[in-house]
Amino acid sequence: MSATAELPTKEAHVLKGHEGAVLAARFNGDGNYALTCGKDRTIRLWNPHRGILIKTYKSHGREVRDVHVTSDNAKFCSCGGDRQVYYWDVSTGRVIRKFRGHDGEVNAVKFNDSSSVVVSAGFDRSLRVWDCRSHSVEPVQIIDTFLDTVMSVVLTKTEIIGGSVDGTVRTFDMRIGREMSDNLGQPVNCISISNDGNCVLAGCLDSTLRLLDRTTGELLQVYRGHISKSFKTDCCLTNSDAHVIGGSEDGLVFFWDLVDAKVVSKFRAHDLVVTSVSYHPKEDCMLTSSVDGTIRVWKK
Amino acid sequence: MASDEEDFVFHGTPIEREEEIASRKKKAVAGASGNLRTLPAWKQEVTDEEGRRRFHGAFTGGYSAGYYNTVGSKDGWAPQSFTSSRKNRAGARKQSISDFLDEDEKADMEGQSLSASSQFDTFGFTAAEYSRKQVEKEQHERPSAIPGPVPDELIAPASESIGVKLLLKMGWRRGHSIKDVRASSGARREARKAFLAFSTDENTKETSDSVVSETEVETSLDPQFSEDIKMSESTPVYVLNPKQDLHGLGYDPFKHAPEFREKKRSRLSANKEAGFRKPLSMKESLFGPKSGKIAPGFGIGALEELDVEDEDVYGGYDFDQTYVIEDEQPAKPSNDNRLRLTSKEHDVLPGFGAAKNSDYSMERFSPPKIPKDFVARHKFSGPLEAETKPTLSAPPDVPPPADNNLKLLIEGFATFVSRCGKLYEDLSREKNQSNQLFDFLRGGNGHEYYARRLWEEQQKRGDQSKLTLDVKPSSSVQKMTAEERGSLLGEKPLQRSLKETDTSASSGGSFQFPTNLSDTFTKSASTQEAADAVKPFKDDPAKQERFEQFLKEKYKGGLRSTDFNRVNSMSESARAQERLDFEAAAEAIEKGKAYKEVRRATERPLDFLAGGLQFTSGGTEQIKDTGVVDMKSSTTYPKREEFQWRPSPLLCKRFDLPDPFMGKLPPAPRARNKMDSLIFLPDTVKAASALSESQEHKKETSIEEPEVEVEVENVERPVDLYKAIFSDDSEDDEDQVMNRKIQEGQEKKNEAAASTLNRLIAGDFLESLGKELGFEVPSDVPYQEGTKPMEKESKSRSKPEGSSDKRPDRSGFKQKVEEKTSSLTLGSEEEKSRKQREKSPRKRSGGNDLSSSESSGDERSKKRSSKMDRYRNNDSESDSSSDYHSRDKQSSRSRRKRRESSREKRNSHKKHSKHHRSKKSSSSKLVYSSDEDRKESKREKRRRRD
Repeated sequence: MSATAELPTKEAHVLKGHEGAVLAARFNGDGNYALTCGKDRTIRLWNPHRGILIKTYKSHGREVRDVHVTSDNAKFCSCGGDRQVYYWDVSTGRVIRKFRGHDGEVNAVKFNDSSSVVVSAGFDRSLRVWDCRSHSVEPVQIIDTFLDTVMSVVLTKTEIIGGSVDGTVRTFDMRIGREMSDNLGQPVNCISISNDGNCVLAGCLDSTLRLLDRTTGELLQVYRGHISKSFKTDCCLTNSDAHVIGGSEDGLVFFWDLVDAKVVSKFRAHDLVVTSVSYHPKEDCMLTSSVDGTIRVWKK
Repeated sequence: MASDEEDFVFHGTPIEREEEIASRKKKAVAGASGNLRTLPAWKQEVTDEEGRRRFHGAFTGGYSAGYYNTVGSKDGWAPQSFTSSRKNRAGARKQSISDFLDEDEKADMEGQSLSASSQFDTFGFTAAEYSRKQVEKEQHERPSAIPGPVPDELIAPASESIGVKLLLKMGWRRGHSIKDVRASSGARREARKAFLAFSTDENTKETSDSVVSETEVETSLDPQFSEDIKMSESTPVYVLNPKQDLHGLGYDPFKHAPEFREKKRSRLSANKEAGFRKPLSMKESLFGPKSGKIAPGFGIGALEELDVEDEDVYGGYDFDQTYVIEDEQPAKPSNDNRLRLTSKEHDVLPGFGAAKNSDYSMERFSPPKIPKDFVARHKFSGPLEAETKPTLSAPPDVPPPADNNLKLLIEGFATFVSRCGKLYEDLSREKNQSNQLFDFLRGGNGHEYYARRLWEEQQKRGDQSKLTLDVKPSSSVQKMTAEERGSLLGEKPLQRSLKETDTSASSGGSFQFPTNLSDTFTKSASTQEAADAVKPFKDDPAKQERFEQFLKEKYKGGLRSTDFNRVNSMSESARAQERLDFEAAAEAIEKGKAYKEVRRATERPLDFLAGGLQFTSGGTEQIKDTGVVDMKSSTTYPKREEFQWRPSPLLCKRFDLPDPFMGKLPPAPRARNKMDSLIFLPDTVKAASALSESQEHKKETSIEEPEVEVEVENVERPVDLYKAIFSDDSEDDEDQVMNRKIQEGQEKKNEAAASTLNRLIAGDFLESLGKELGFEVPSDVPYQEGTKPMEKESKSRSKPEGSSDKRPDRSGFKQKVEEKTSSLTLGSEEEKSRKQREKSPRKRSGGNDLSSSESSGDERSKKRSSKMDRYRNNDSESDSSSDYHSRDKQSSRSRRKRRESSREKRNSHKKHSKHHRSKKSSSSKLVYSSDEDRKESKREKRRRRD
């Protein structure tokens, strides 16, 4: 029971403003701010701790599916249904660059640690790496070994990890020039990496989260109970790696114990599909976003 | 000023500002060809008909602002002039809406405001007045220099209708109601007189003018008269819709959303008269015309079309209530406020008041009358009844049937039926109608015993709590599918074990129905069952039986050799062969099971295999073993494979990592490039060399030759044509030293093929023909003897390099393949065939048909290369150097297709090569000749290099 007390299950704020579904909610690097994006083609910057909207970014022509902030909070990137990756300036709200090249919708974007490149994952079965340093708008690299839509991408210092509907989580290691493909047999919806960097959590479309050991590709644990069958719902680990969080299509949010895969806590966060969950990098605070157009901030 | 202007002489048309023209032209062109569509949304501009860019608001579409989004006009912004002098005082000027609107907006406004056209204006008031004023003004402005009537002044706008004229003649004056004419008829007559007199006086003036002065005069003349009239002035029309909102002048919030106007009006009227409100389905009017369900919250842009992507996948959420934010009502009626105060409804959104009365009236239905004989519990006709009420009278205790098996079956079945209900019995009876074993269900052998057992079981179960009974069986009955039932019944194992009891008494007692049942619950699919389901040797029952035996032993872990004396009739080699077959089949079954779930994965097993072995760098045998192990373990997820991946140097730089392939040129594309020839070559080379010994003895008739020629061309030309074009010259320039060494072997083959084809194409295959037939061809003859040693030498040269080079790149690996093929060529025909046989199980296990020479060795690379090959055929522009990039660029979407087609291609190729073999005698010659050519060209090449 003490475990549940640590979990952020109390609603601190409701962030309203998006018209239509919110597709992703992300903390920034230090967790003081949050960026959300949604079907209304806007990206919104919030202070989730005070519950106020700071800025709205509009330029996308279609829905915005993912957003990610650089570690220095100066820039962010976004992607969505208009097949482009936008590279924004946070303070001015201007689009610095637009990277075009994906043949389909772009599902996810991430910066690398030094914020020098953006990696985007697209419906066209490819991961594309875009350069932010130079003025080139051509992709630095196209990784197209996936057999189906790439849903999610995660970067480490040396690797690019992508999760795809073809059921694989592929790790591209730049140090040794190898691609490691872990076939899970189920479409991978979302991947997220543990804070110690040793495990990958993959949300699969058979309503299962799978925890993989990254070095061996071993299946460490399976988390079940939620519903994830047809929507892109996020999953993540808490900042202490003690619990696994997953959003469900019925509006619930689940907390599992990392080790014994027990459902430690589940509660109704939204009325409709929970599209995204994001955990604060340091504190016990969580963001959830939903199709009902709200973002909720959860605290202890 | 004027003189200044006169000094200038203008020739031609002035040049417009360049950018302006350019942009306009572009726009015009784009607009004309519909190009605008192809531009991304953020580049498209919406313009009005004059090419001005427009601002866009969310709902109204916005107003175009000023001149090209600037203030003012083309000439710039001119402030309003204000002049006032002592003589000419400027009065306070009234501003109107039109001062602030553009022409197009004014046009819009006019279009909206209702006004009778002069034609239908019975009293011709507006138009006539206007024209009169106009003329008057003109006269004032223009001091008529010419005395007397001016022609065009005479032709005045006769905009007055005849009715007005008549009325006027009758004494009616403007602004007065007609009704009152008679009331003051006395005065009227006087007035008419005066009027007539007046008009005769000023005869020269045009009629309209006179009319004005007439009225003026008349009103001013007669104060009494006017007073009289005042009474009967036509009633002024008051403004019907006074401005009550806080919008700007002329702003119509509903301009582009008339649905809401309707809504508001209905709401207002509802407020006012508290009457019935017309129900208005907003959703329908908003989204009605569009076909799909659109994602709420936003519309699509003016230039975008409704797309599949706009459909709302997150359907079900009604945004209408948040969608319309009506703030155009500044002052709420007091009764509304009161309403809010009195009735505090929690489910009303802030800013909204609950509708006071809606058309939705709760219709109350009286509850249905319950028939008197209704019992509030449902009676289930079937199983539960039978179960909850066990058969009252116990059937007589009958001794079990003599057949032990049957007894067991009956007991098990009875237990099960008692557990699951009678429905189950019915079902299984139905299902097993033809089955002799289940005769006891239909009153056959052992029926009494079954009845007794069933009763006993039910008694036993009856003791248990009824609640659980009620719930459990019903659910299990519901969920049961045909397969489940089958597995529950253990039909498969039953039949099997029966067969066994028949054939071999040793395995008797395996018939344990109850225990088996429980087993089937836990073990959903044992491998044995699966193997049974798939019968790979259907046409040979004896063999199938042996295969099953083999499987059983394999999975039960018995000693295999013990039972094999049964098949002593077979020869040692045949048995070994069979063993291999079995193993392959078992593997295939196992694998098939594993891959059933993921359909996609079936396409790639060979890929996986190749990926695994590419880096082992051991002998081929070892590689195969790991491959097989990989296959076996692959039945469970997740499974990991590793491939080579080349990060681009820039990517490594951006990640601050050293490039793992630094300094190494990309091996993959090169190898792939060269591989093309190899796919086809091994067979031909092999065939050629195998037949080269016998070639001397045989003589061919020249009649057969051309036919074969054609065939070969068909097979090889598409590839080598490009090779002939691209490979020859470009390579030497690019090649670095190291690279050259590695690829020398391939290159030679490549070149050989190219030159062969060149010859063929050039039509000098006659030469080679002649050569084969033994005619003297001067240039070639001396080489014939020397070729073989040369080739050997080249091989030995490349060999150590190949083995010392441990790099896992494909070129290195490929060379090994090459070695293998060359060794194969040295081998005799039967050796080859044996090898093939050995490999055949592997082949099958791979789930793919491979060409014989390299079974699994470089499957991946081969596949790739064949893909490449195809690609090249399609795209002649991709030369060897840009191969790698072009691969990257090629759309991944078409890849799968390509892969399939490449497989097809391989198949077809195989067919061809088979064809070759079957036509051995004829084709050998030609292949040999081409081989020879190759050697020759190789030598030429070397010479050139030296």
